Amino acid sequence: MTSPSVIEVRNFSMVLGGKQIVDDLSFEVGRGETFGLLGSNGSGKTTTLRALLGIYTPTSGELLVNGAPFNPATSGPLGYLPEERGLYRKEKVIDVMTYFGQLKGMARTAAALWSMGFLRRVGLEDHARVRLDKLSGGQQQKVQVGVTVMNNPDIVILDEPTKGFDPINRRLLLDIVEDQRRAGATIVMVTHQMEEVERLCDRVLLLKDGRAEAYGTVEAVRESYGGHMVRVQYSGTLPPPQGWQVVTAERNYAEFALADGTDDQRVLRTLMDAGVTVHRFDATTASMEQVFLSIYGHAPEEASA
Amino acid sequence: MNSHNFGTVLAFELRRTLLRPIYWLTTLSVPVLMALIMALSFFSSSSAADRASQASDGITFQYSDASGIVLPDVATRLGGTLTAAPAGAEQAVHAGTLDAYIAVPAHPGTDPVRVVARDEGLLNTSQWYSLGRRLVSDSAAARLGDDRLVSLTRDVPMTLETWKDGQRSTGLSGAIIPAFFLILLYAAILMLGQQMLNITVEEKENRVTEMILTTIRPRVLILAKITAVIIAGLVQAAVFVVPALVWLGSTGGRLMGGASSSPLAVAEVTLDPFTITVAALLFVGGFGMFTALLVAIGSVAPTVKDASSAFGGLVLVMFLPLYVMPLVAGDPGSPLTQVLTYFPLTAPIAAQVRNATGTLSIPEAVAAVVILYATTAALLWVAVRLFGAGSISYNARLRLSALRRPRADAA
Repeated sequence: MTSPSVIEVRNFSMVLGGKQIVDDLSFEVGRGETFGLLGSNGSGKTTTLRALLGIYTPTSGELLVNGAPFNPATSGPLGYLPEERGLYRKEKVIDVMTYFGQLKGMARTAAALWSMGFLRRVGLEDHARVRLDKLSGGQQQKVQVGVTVMNNPDIVILDEPTKGFDPINRRLLLDIVEDQRRAGATIVMVTHQMEEVERLCDRVLLLKDGRAEAYGTVEAVRESYGGHMVRVQYSGTLPPPQGWQVVTAERNYAEFALADGTDDQRVLRTLMDAGVTVHRFDATTASMEQVFLSIYGHAPEEASA
Repeated sequence: MNSHNFGTVLAFELRRTLLRPIYWLTTLSVPVLMALIMALSFFSSSSAADRASQASDGITFQYSDASGIVLPDVATRLGGTLTAAPAGAEQAVHAGTLDAYIAVPAHPGTDPVRVVARDEGLLNTSQWYSLGRRLVSDSAAARLGDDRLVSLTRDVPMTLETWKDGQRSTGLSGAIIPAFFLILLYAAILMLGQQMLNITVEEKENRVTEMILTTIRPRVLILAKITAVIIAGLVQAAVFVVPALVWLGSTGGRLMGGASSSPLAVAEVTLDPFTITVAALLFVGGFGMFTALLVAIGSVAPTVKDASSAFGGLVLVMFLPLYVMPLVAGDPGSPLTQVLTYFPLTAPIAAQVRNATGTLSIPEAVAAVVILYATTAALLWVAVRLFGAGSISYNARLRLSALRRPRADAA
């Protein structure tokens, strides 16, 4: 029976240099899904990806791609954009792209044609015969993105894909990721950009100290860890919390994290009964940024510093 | 072995190397330089001889002959007249009114012929030597009257056979091909060594390994890159060897076209199958071993600079046997020679020297080759494992404990 899961990680543990990096991790990624792998530095995200791709040998457990350990020859077309990335700097752009296209199973001519088409899309057609080290950093990033998505990969793995990208290239990358999603690719993304997670990811897994801390759909994780929140613009004096925790309290603005079972309408009634003049009242679930904060104790951008 | 994408990597690496102008600049510089030097040498000696000949045609000189050997006819043909006043003739040369004065001593075979001549520049001094020589040697030849005797005074053609323990020795001729392979090994390592280091260091410095390892296994990648370096080396070797083979073929296997009595001239290249086979095996094994070693060094070193320092040390080890070559060649049974013959790092050189000098027995040759190839295979295995673990270490130096954990290589 064919598993609907493209990626399966079962009881994966990794010890590197005597240190437990990942501890008994299990998760699955379904076909066509966009999966976010989140966590602070040192939580084991990149280690998990490398073990999945056969770059590391797991200390224990198994990591499967399409039901078997990853094999470049048989696991199907895959695109990988690592965190530490680079290309052959002293070679021409078109030569490097064609080479990687061939490595990914394309015929030489087809790889060259596809590469030219991509370079045209990203405005680098005139630079095809230029050496990579003569391009700017942003231009090299575009080439790397192209190499990643060559040959319409079924699986795309992105490790902090927008790291070091300027806003224009970030937009380009996200558009390309969207294209891959629409084409049915399965995407695994490691990122600290929570707005990317909320925009793109169907499910997420948050790693903490090598263990799964949160796992599920974005909505479920937000509800489980961030819960419900209200944002209030007001005049007057706020009453003591009654079923909520004050997250932010400014002179005329406050945010409350509601305890389980606390109704937002009750909060509004309580404020009004306390003589607070409520100008604006918004009920929402916590953002992924707030979830990250509550789990790791610091903001995601501090994790990537 | 899963060889997925071996050909793709091989083709790419070969294309990168063979299309690089510096590669051909380096490769062709040696034979072109050698051809230039040989041509210059040939033409300068020919033109010197021509100049000497032509110049002497228009020369007038006087001579004195205490030996009685010089024939007037010969002297006249060369432009000379006998003088009874040697001092006057010398003065005339000093004054520039006479081209040259030649004093033939009583015993020209032991005492030098003295030539006093006009200075026509450094490049034209050979004409005076030629004139003095011809005056005496042409006269002597004419006096002999027998062409066979005359040719024997100039050269004695010879062949040489040496025998040992009932077996004919190859002598100097048997040393030529092993010596050639030895020179080729040094040339290949010195010319390609840096490229072998770069096989792995480049991947790390370019940060390209993680992306590329999702398309190809590390051992396949390394072996493809090594193969490309070896093919590039073979192309270089062919560029060096083919002109030499053509020249050898044109001279009928004789090294020198000149005097046939010199040891090198009589050393027609001996094609002994055993010697050639051992020489070739030692060359291939030595080249492979140093390649694997350099790849391993590149996998461990974080940067090209660190790797290059190690390369320098390796070259030193390669040259070590040459410092004790007289011992290796002359005393094959000495403990040091035995160690150098079998120790993998020195075996390609020491065993080759002994192969060249005919002091390497069949069992010793087999043992040296087997040890060398086994070491090469082991080093290659280590190099691939180090690359797999070290290729993503980037700026950090790799710890050898990484060798303990096997990679997740699928069958």
